[in-house]
Amino acid sequence: MEYFLHILIISGIYIILTLSLNLIVGFTGLPALGHIGFVCVGAYTSSLLALNYGISPWIGLLIGACLASLLGLIIGFPSIRLKGDYLALATFGFGVIVYSVSKNWVDLTRGPMGLPGIPKFSLIGFELQPVWAYLILVAVFVFITAFVINRIACSPFGRVLMSIREDEIASLSIGKNINRYKLTVFVIGAFFAGIAGSLYAHYITFIDPSSFTMMESIAVLLMVVFGGMGSIKGSFIGALILVIFPEMLRFLGMPSSVAAPLRQMIYGLLLIVLMLKRPQGIIGQYRFK
Amino acid sequence: MVYTAGAYFAYSLSISLGINPILSFFLASIFSAILGIAIDRIVYLPLRKSNSPGLVFLIASFGIFIFIQNLLQLLYGAQILTLRTGPVVEGYQIFSAVITPIQILILSVSLILLVVLWIIVDKAKMGKAIRAVADDPVGASISGIYPENVILYSFGIGSAIAGMAGILISLETNIEPTMGMNAILKGIIASIIGGIGSIPGALLGGFFLGIIENLGIWKIQAGWKDTIAFAVLIIFLLLRPEGILGKKNNRERL
Repeated sequence: MEYFLHILIISGIYIILTLSLNLIVGFTGLPALGHIGFVCVGAYTSSLLALNYGISPWIGLLIGACLASLLGLIIGFPSIRLKGDYLALATFGFGVIVYSVSKNWVDLTRGPMGLPGIPKFSLIGFELQPVWAYLILVAVFVFITAFVINRIACSPFGRVLMSIREDEIASLSIGKNINRYKLTVFVIGAFFAGIAGSLYAHYITFIDPSSFTMMESIAVLLMVVFGGMGSIKGSFIGALILVIFPEMLRFLGMPSSVAAPLRQMIYGLLLIVLMLKRPQGIIGQYRFK
Repeated sequence: MVYTAGAYFAYSLSISLGINPILSFFLASIFSAILGIAIDRIVYLPLRKSNSPGLVFLIASFGIFIFIQNLLQLLYGAQILTLRTGPVVEGYQIFSAVITPIQILILSVSLILLVVLWIIVDKAKMGKAIRAVADDPVGASISGIYPENVILYSFGIGSAIAGMAGILISLETNIEPTMGMNAILKGIIASIIGGIGSIPGALLGGFFLGIIENLGIWKIQAGWKDTIAFAVLIIFLLLRPEGILGKKNNRERL
């Protein structure tokens, strides 16, 4: 039971991530690959604040998310001027840079040794120790994220994003400052990714750079594409299936030296088949252009 | 990914089956070419037929990459293998720099490959066809070039060379399933820095990247190598996306 709840919490964190990346990739059509960098900043910021200065994880979460969105601004500012594959490469590059900073800035992050003993969230003096309590917390954040992203998507602002996705030149011609819109989207996406990172750090209570490799960015992108780009329901479905399905393979009773690569192979195969058969995802309408 | 597979092919042939190293070098590169062509037929051809945009290719190639990397891990295990046989030889001193016989071998084979590739792409008739298809597939097919054949050839040649590169590098270092990622990224960075579609550019970009990376870690710790490489990439993407030797109109294509 405990294990089942754990899987749900991890899926919840991935849903937040998928939703926030969907805003950038699915709704606005910007192929960003460095999303895990924002998670990394959010996780490290709030853990370091809690460990070194004893700041409550609640405030740490907020500061972490703000720092992540600041990073989104810094990364977004140069990258949004690039197009298509070049944007993907540049954001990928930024992701790698954030990863190697977290690994090499040993004085601050303790590098590959990681940060153990991160305190859990506490509410009016009680630490959120039981797993179900944490599940409720994550569920609340999932709800907030889905609500905000949904509001953004339905608003006039969101319609401009979709018009940028469909035709940049046309949206320019009706007087929309598309770079400013793209930058805002980057900042919002990074904010929620920072929240996801902080939730993860205070749940697992241990982080090290290996949780923030580029494979994670690709996994989140896969969830977005798998569920359906530009679809809130799709993000839920994509994240849930792609977190829970590999876990189920654990019960087949294979040795871990076989199971781990096999799981990744299925991941890879799934990506290829999806791109061949249904590039718009399970319930998405939009295709890459 | 064919690069890693090439190294593993060579390992299986020369170490596991005990075939003569030079013969197995060529056999392994032929196998790499076949693998590359198979990937093209199974995955890329249907994508081209459905007129998929670049990003779909990118994601599909991530899929292929993850698949092959883990297939190799499943077959050979995650441990590090080596192609090296015999003792480690002390290098020669040239201008106070030390170079080992294997490094000389790698350098000379790469130079030969480079010249061969340059002749194929820039001088031979097939190279003209390749460039024509890259520029405009429809125009090329009007003038009697069958684009699918040309793509097949270029995949075959590219994969064979990638396989050879994998074998060469594993003479110097070790073989492991994860060795491909770094090579792909550095390859992409070097070709963007040098200018996409230009072989002298690729050479220049490769040298430039290698020198900057290694000069950089002379001053700061070695762990920052990737950071330097990607910082260079981002600077180039922003200031000169066409690369050192590239042409201006390449801006929106890859």
